[in-house]
Amino acid sequence: MRSRIDFKVTGRFALFTDPLTKIGGEKCSYHIPTYEALKGIAKSIYWKPTFVWVIDKVRVMRRIRTQSKSMKPLVFHGIYPSEKDPAKKQEPFNTLAIYTYLADVEYQVQAHFEWNPYRNDLADDRDPDKHWHVAKRMVEKGGRQDVFLGTRECQGYVEPCAFGEGKGEYDGCGELAYGLMFHGFDYPDETGTRELHSRFWRPVMKDGVVLFPEPKEFLQQSSDKAREFVREMIPNPPSSNGLREEGLLDELD
Amino acid sequence: MSWIEKLYQTYENNTDAIGSRSDSVPLLPICHTTQNAHISISIDADGNFLRATVLPKLGARTIIPATEDSAGRTSGTTPHPLCDKLQYVAADYGEYGGEKDPCFDNYIELLKKWIAMDNLQWKLKAVATYVEKRKVIADLVKASALYAEDDSRLIDEWTSENAAPEIFRLLPGGYDNKGKKKPWQADAFVRWSVETPGDPQPEVWLDQGLWRSWENYYGSLKSTKSLCFVTGAEIPLADQHPAKIRNDGDKAKLISSNDLSGYTFRGRFTSADEACGVGFQVTQKAHSALRWLIARQGRRDGEQAVVAWAVSGADVPDPQADTFSFLFGGEQTAPPKVGYTAQEIGAALSKRIAGYTAKLKSTDDVVVIGLDSATPGRMAISYYRELTGSEFLERIESWHTGCCWQQYFGKDRIFFGAPAPRDIAEVAYGRRIDEKLRKATIERLLPCIVDGALIPRDLVESCIRRASNRNGIEYWEWEKALGIACALFRYHHKERSYPMALDRELRSRDYLYGRLLALAERLEERALYVGGEKRSTSAEKLMQRFADRPYSTWRVLETGLTPYKVRLNGKRHGFLNAVQQEIDAVCDLFERDDFSSDKRLSGEFLLGYHCQRAALRPVAGPDATDKSEDSDN
Repeated sequence: MRSRIDFKVTGRFALFTDPLTKIGGEKCSYHIPTYEALKGIAKSIYWKPTFVWVIDKVRVMRRIRTQSKSMKPLVFHGIYPSEKDPAKKQEPFNTLAIYTYLADVEYQVQAHFEWNPYRNDLADDRDPDKHWHVAKRMVEKGGRQDVFLGTRECQGYVEPCAFGEGKGEYDGCGELAYGLMFHGFDYPDETGTRELHSRFWRPVMKDGVVLFPEPKEFLQQSSDKAREFVREMIPNPPSSNGLREEGLLDELD
Repeated sequence: MSWIEKLYQTYENNTDAIGSRSDSVPLLPICHTTQNAHISISIDADGNFLRATVLPKLGARTIIPATEDSAGRTSGTTPHPLCDKLQYVAADYGEYGGEKDPCFDNYIELLKKWIAMDNLQWKLKAVATYVEKRKVIADLVKASALYAEDDSRLIDEWTSENAAPEIFRLLPGGYDNKGKKKPWQADAFVRWSVETPGDPQPEVWLDQGLWRSWENYYGSLKSTKSLCFVTGAEIPLADQHPAKIRNDGDKAKLISSNDLSGYTFRGRFTSADEACGVGFQVTQKAHSALRWLIARQGRRDGEQAVVAWAVSGADVPDPQADTFSFLFGGEQTAPPKVGYTAQEIGAALSKRIAGYTAKLKSTDDVVVIGLDSATPGRMAISYYRELTGSEFLERIESWHTGCCWQQYFGKDRIFFGAPAPRDIAEVAYGRRIDEKLRKATIERLLPCIVDGALIPRDLVESCIRRASNRNGIEYWEWEKALGIACALFRYHHKERSYPMALDRELRSRDYLYGRLLALAERLEERALYVGGEKRSTSAEKLMQRFADRPYSTWRVLETGLTPYKVRLNGKRHGFLNAVQQEIDAVCDLFERDDFSSDKRLSGEFLLGYHCQRAALRPVAGPDATDKSEDSDN
């Protein structure tokens, strides 16, 4: 089945937030992208509920460089009128924070799609050639939706490439271990359970390339992969099944 | 690997250092914090009061067991379990005029729970027995550690003519100029000492058995386990994370979440522990290690703290030191004052690096972390880098040898070497640099040192501009700027490998123009000296213009030299000849069109200028006969 695409994604900044630094608000980026962030980029390029993107590997092309920026995040409880003190007219809209971004990034990504087994209603749409060709076309066009690297303010740009092509700055650099890192979320519409889980693993970058394990590998307990139950979540997938939706054809008449 | 995991490992590798009294900020046992104690109370094993001493400020730092809540308390009623303020440990606090809520009940309850869990700790029992007699302050007053009026209320402020007793120097009382009450006697912090014959360690706060006992007890309180985002294991998680990382008054935390309204994590998650969890022991150890490292080998500049360390605990050089303090900073012997040559510095540098190499294994992990905070409550990691030991030492050495020039940091500090980031920032943006800009500049320079990256061009240009314009700044400041600008330019153009001594073969236009400027300056300077005049030379005054339009400015300079040549012709004929020859030689080296072009000079001209000037110094000047009678400069 032809389902694999390669693409290159670049950006001036990237912020793959380390969850430890997320809850307090002073975000700091991981040094390498997470599976979930790359999956999001693949989905921005092209996505249908028929299938699920699986990221195979990523290649870090440029030297990992961080840069901190002073930010003024919004204070939501401070917006007029103040929730804390209604008598007071207004509280500051902003607080101050220092975010640490990755600067000047370029990644080569290889991904493929797999049918989502929990969308039997879309079984008729499981046409590998069609989706593959559309996906390839969309990579050439730079994606259907905006691409961003980790967070919304880090705009990214997608181009076609052949994975492994060109010179990367980590070629021949050997292995680099990153400790326990966030991998991605198991959302209920892709697992078929009414639960949200987060996945953790211990990535090793070898000569600039990180091979991602597939989400289903996390279902078995192992020492280097962890899966944590977060909370109940009710799946709410897009429900239309195209022209077969009841009454839809009548409207055309 | 993540920063917190590295810190955790550092703690595990340095357990020998826990509680060491040689560190000003000790590596703490987990679930412990430090406080400055004011009074030490000695009791015996049966809980009878023996004596009390008021502690001098120097020995006041005390390691105390703490709960997560008490370590993070700002006000309120959560007691530390063993040593605490009088408000907590003295049941008669209220009777003696204590104004805050008395918290003795909470304190004794916590202490008793601990004793119930570990009843082998007789020192705890002694303390509990003693405080339950409910007369701590009464005893302290009797022992003249505290002072009370009419035996009922502690004196607020020492008003008597006589010299104030010790305790009033620590806790003066009274009101500050905003009308707020200053700490007074009743705010004294107490630590215990339980004395029994045959026990070598009466001080409870140094008793390692007690540390472990508290760790075990407190650890056993936490029963629910969950996934730790650092180790990946199912372990008891922390409710709160430690503060006081950069200094004792630092409230900023690296990991915190006290707001459910800031939308930092909400959406997918409903609470902070869904979004993130860290093991209790992990966070305690990691933060303790970070605090210890910053105090021991870090550099603090306002809110910014930068520290480099080896996970194994071996010593590593400070990446932010200039060559001079790197070589002589840690040593007791006084460094040589002046005239240290490039060769000698080079030898000393490799010796020093070799010293580190001996202790730091090549595969040891070295971590550089930069911390900064924008608001008082939260701290951000603004820089983080991991390297192997050999890589790190290599980078440090290549920085000191690559970004190297003769530096003039005042009369006692003339050396060949690299400047410190702080000095670079001050040269680039002036000495009255805005604090934020300085922090940002230091942060931009760190990758140049630690990763061997190129220095940002704007910084180099800015330093060069300042060094080219000597009007309006003091002589020593300009000299410093010149040395730093040359060092930066040289490092920025590593591939050209500029020598630090005068290169008479180099035919590059900017370099030659720099030499001409130095020659003109020297000639005029000497002529002025001979004539007994004291003013700045036209070369000095026109330096900036020379850098912008060398050709037309050189015309002005050279024609201006004529009267000085006439003056020198009689008295310093040899010198004049030598300089003139040199000028001619330099002019000869120019490629044809280079000389007549009025294009702006690059920083290279500073190198030529500096080298030529050094070569003209009277010590080995071209005019040997002139030397004996001439001692200018």
